[in-house]
Amino acid sequence: MKASEVFVLVSIIVFIFSLAYITSLGGLGQLPPVNVRVLAQRYLELTWNPLKPFMSSSGYESVTAIVWDFRGLDTFFETAVFYGAIIAAIAIYRGVKITGKGKTIGMSPIARTITRLSIVLIPTVAASIALHGHLTPGGGFQAGSVATVVAVLIIMVFGRKAIIRKGLTKSRILLLRSLGLLGIGFTAVALLLAAIALGVNAYIFQNQPKPFAPLGFPKIYDGMILGGSLLLFNFFEFIAVTAGFTLVLLLLSLDEKDVRKVVVEK
Amino acid sequence: MNLSLMTAYVVVISLYVNLGIALYGIFARPSLVKKLLAITILSDTANAFAVLVGYRWPKTGTPKPPVYTNSTFNNQTLHYYVSHAVDPLPQALVLTAIVIGLAVTVFIAFIIIQYYRLHGTVDVRKARR
Repeated sequence: MKASEVFVLVSIIVFIFSLAYITSLGGLGQLPPVNVRVLAQRYLELTWNPLKPFMSSSGYESVTAIVWDFRGLDTFFETAVFYGAIIAAIAIYRGVKITGKGKTIGMSPIARTITRLSIVLIPTVAASIALHGHLTPGGGFQAGSVATVVAVLIIMVFGRKAIIRKGLTKSRILLLRSLGLLGIGFTAVALLLAAIALGVNAYIFQNQPKPFAPLGFPKIYDGMILGGSLLLFNFFEFIAVTAGFTLVLLLLSLDEKDVRKVVVEK
Repeated sequence: MNLSLMTAYVVVISLYVNLGIALYGIFARPSLVKKLLAITILSDTANAFAVLVGYRWPKTGTPKPPVYTNSTFNNQTLHYYVSHAVDPLPQALVLTAIVIGLAVTVFIAFIIIQYYRLHGTVDVRKARR
């Protein structure tokens, strides 16, 4: 072992022990915490509170309420970062032709049959996670990650070309992804546009009516909790995340020979 | 030592071990792929820390997830929920951090693949020459 390697190892160990010592002195507060902070109590109190209609959100789930209502603008820009990172990854593959022509080598008939069944069930579960995101743990991000499993299965079991033959070309997936992000953007300003047309006040990312801003997304319909804008945000995020990760998987599964021709030789 | 304290110690110690492994991977391993794996371990450890800080072990009863599960609403049910549910804010931040982390990881992975195509190696020692 070289002296530099020993130095790195000792530095890391000293750093970790210092951090652990700070924790033992109470750096992370009392562990395990007996109570949560006042801010957290406010969020919990206002997630579903018919007594404070101007301040509360429209679903039972506090995490979704924070993600898409209390701190909606944060999440919007985080989604934009996610969008940008994947666009940057795609830019490396510019010029590479992705076609569905040619022979595909898939897995055995057993794997194919099981996959045919599960690629129907998985999107159902994903849709349930996305559409109940305001009532139960879940939401657009989680549902998108679940739905991406379908793309993984198709690519692994039927081959990459199968996914293109089904009509999911690169440009169509990109379109779907852009529609998801546009949907999020439109939902964020929908009430504002309606307010301009009606001549009243409204805010960006407004979900429920506020003082001096009387418009709001429907919260309850016929005894069923709709979740207001949370439902729409979760749905569009679900589409954007699914399409984004499917596109990345499609690019990762390309033939190295085809990519090298364009990326390295040209 | 009661059970809640022991569980917290086990979680904190294992998180610090994870942190050490991640830092070792980032600083000491020459392969870019291993550095990427170590970065993902580091971000997951940081996320787990954030969730741990927002966790709660109430003096009476058990901790509840931050989901209002009572179909009826009154001051009692609300008080029970507020006094037993864990902090939802770190969970919300971690949720978005995971997705963005995944997107950035994909981007770094693509760059590493591209680097390998152009230079034929992912070893930073060879790349320096």
